[in-house]
Amino acid sequence: MDIKRLHRRHALSLLGGAAAVGAAGPAFAQAEPAKPAQLVVNHSGGSMGTAMRKAFFNGFEKKYGIKVVETSPVDFGKLRAMVDSGNVEWDLTEIGGQDAIRAGKANLLEKIDPKVVDRSKYPATAQNPYVFASSVYTTIIGFRNDVFKNGSQPKSWADWWDVKKFPGARSMRNHPTDNLEFALIADGVPKDKLYPIDFDRAFKKLDQIKPHITVWWSTGQQPAQLLLDKEVVLATGWNGRFYDIIKKGAPVGIEWNEGSLKQGSFAIPRGAKSPYWANKMLAELAVPQQQAVYASELGYPGLNLESLNFVDPKVKPFLPTAYLDQQFWVSDQWYAENGTKAAELWNAWMLKKG
Amino acid sequence: MTGRGFLPALPALILLFVFFLFPVVRMLGFSLEGGTLDWYAKALGEQLYLRVFWNTFEIALLVTFFCLLLGYPLGFLMATTTPFWATVGFIFVLLPLWTSVLVRTYAWMVLLGRNGVFNRTLMEAGIISDPIPLLHNFTGVLIGMVHVLLPYMVLPIYGAVRKVDPAIPAAAAGLGASSFSIFRRIYLPLTLNGIFAGSVLVFVLSLGFFITPALLGGGRVMMIAVLIEQQVREALNWPFAAALSAVLLVFTFAVYALAQRFTRTETESAR
Repeated sequence: MDIKRLHRRHALSLLGGAAAVGAAGPAFAQAEPAKPAQLVVNHSGGSMGTAMRKAFFNGFEKKYGIKVVETSPVDFGKLRAMVDSGNVEWDLTEIGGQDAIRAGKANLLEKIDPKVVDRSKYPATAQNPYVFASSVYTTIIGFRNDVFKNGSQPKSWADWWDVKKFPGARSMRNHPTDNLEFALIADGVPKDKLYPIDFDRAFKKLDQIKPHITVWWSTGQQPAQLLLDKEVVLATGWNGRFYDIIKKGAPVGIEWNEGSLKQGSFAIPRGAKSPYWANKMLAELAVPQQQAVYASELGYPGLNLESLNFVDPKVKPFLPTAYLDQQFWVSDQWYAENGTKAAELWNAWMLKKG
Repeated sequence: MTGRGFLPALPALILLFVFFLFPVVRMLGFSLEGGTLDWYAKALGEQLYLRVFWNTFEIALLVTFFCLLLGYPLGFLMATTTPFWATVGFIFVLLPLWTSVLVRTYAWMVLLGRNGVFNRTLMEAGIISDPIPLLHNFTGVLIGMVHVLLPYMVLPIYGAVRKVDPAIPAAAAGLGASSFSIFRRIYLPLTLNGIFAGSVLVFVLSLGFFITPALLGGGRVMMIAVLIEQQVREALNWPFAAALSAVLLVFTFAVYALAQRFTRTETESAR
């Protein structure tokens, strides 16, 4: 029976191979690049690494017999250093949205091969030639549901700013991205009119909330931990981090309204050792069934629009793609151009007394 | 330096050159990219950056002060007590030194938080009704840094006290000197070297601190290393990061040279 199955699989792959050759035509002349012993994928690590291994890497290793070596963390500075020095250790790396745009412009990335990576089921916004949109995440409000019972949590940024009606220690990220937008929304700017950001108006609004922020967090795990320890009762944070502690039974809830959406991205560093196989890995990341596995683990759905069909209905309420119309997309484009200025103003504002 | 004395040191010198001196020189090169001093003008001219430098200096000074306040009595006791208690003291001083800074910093978060061990104990004992804010502010950074750096103060002081000939204070006591004047007129001048060595070490190490202020400061306490990291990793403005590092380096050298001069004159006058 084993032999029979083997034969059938063999026959199928032969057929598939023949079909591919027939379709690719001219590509037939060029042989597939030799398989490397390993493919190095750099990502944020932690539970994300575990989920990626389960959803993508194990399958890739089995399919091609190439070992996937994982490294972390994601580091834009290191990427530039690698490309500049010509010693590129990563075949594929995760990269922040605005960084990806800057890296593409600075010629730090290889183009994604459309012949290998099928992005036809991706929205038009996720078709950057250098950047593969791997997943969606959002910054939303996490709250202690033993303090804010029965849906009494703040449901908008105006509520978040209303410290009389919603008292309690809060935490926000020590970063201009998201917070400038939240401040403008709280001040009455419509979600589709946020860019270009009006710095004066945003910082004036942020002045009001500053005394009520107990912790300005800097790493993704902090807001979840702060809520667990009851160090604060309200925290902005990335949906997957809250999903993770809610799955484990923490008394924490998520308010999705007016969350800020961003895409997680992967890219191939210029001068990577095995760019062809990195593209093959991206093709693996684009498979909707595998994206569904990943989303159920972490709460970060893929951008292949078909992937939602493969997700357990119990998981759907924890995915940002279920609330797209209540939220807004952060403009990576705007930050790629104005990020440095925003960071400087933010630092100056943080150092201001009061 | 004779040829014989120089040769055995060669591997170490090469190592230092390749892995220390060369990168530093390259970094200085970065800061002068384009042949201008613009990045230095920015680092030293803009209020934001001056403020961060001043913050860093202030924190380093306070940390040194508290380390000395706690470290001198501890080092003194360890040097003058029985061997058993000296060993106990060493274990308590050195054990934290071998533990990762990250672990120690997280330990402080558990202890100092609003619902941390410290606040909960005080509240349950009825001493306070609201938690004292000890974490995510200046106080938290100070406590964490003093703890991490204390061994660097204690060890030189211990060494200096050990070097004092026990016959001298014994003679002074025999001649009727009070313990305060024994301390002031014998121990203090004779251990000044240790105090300086420890203070310089702690101060210089404080200047470059990164993890502890980032985690215990709640984002509010900005030190220069945090800013440099931001410029390297987020802004990708390496020339500016290099200029900030160079300013920090020069400042550190200046402090070191100043202290060095001080100690030398002290040693000479002590002779």
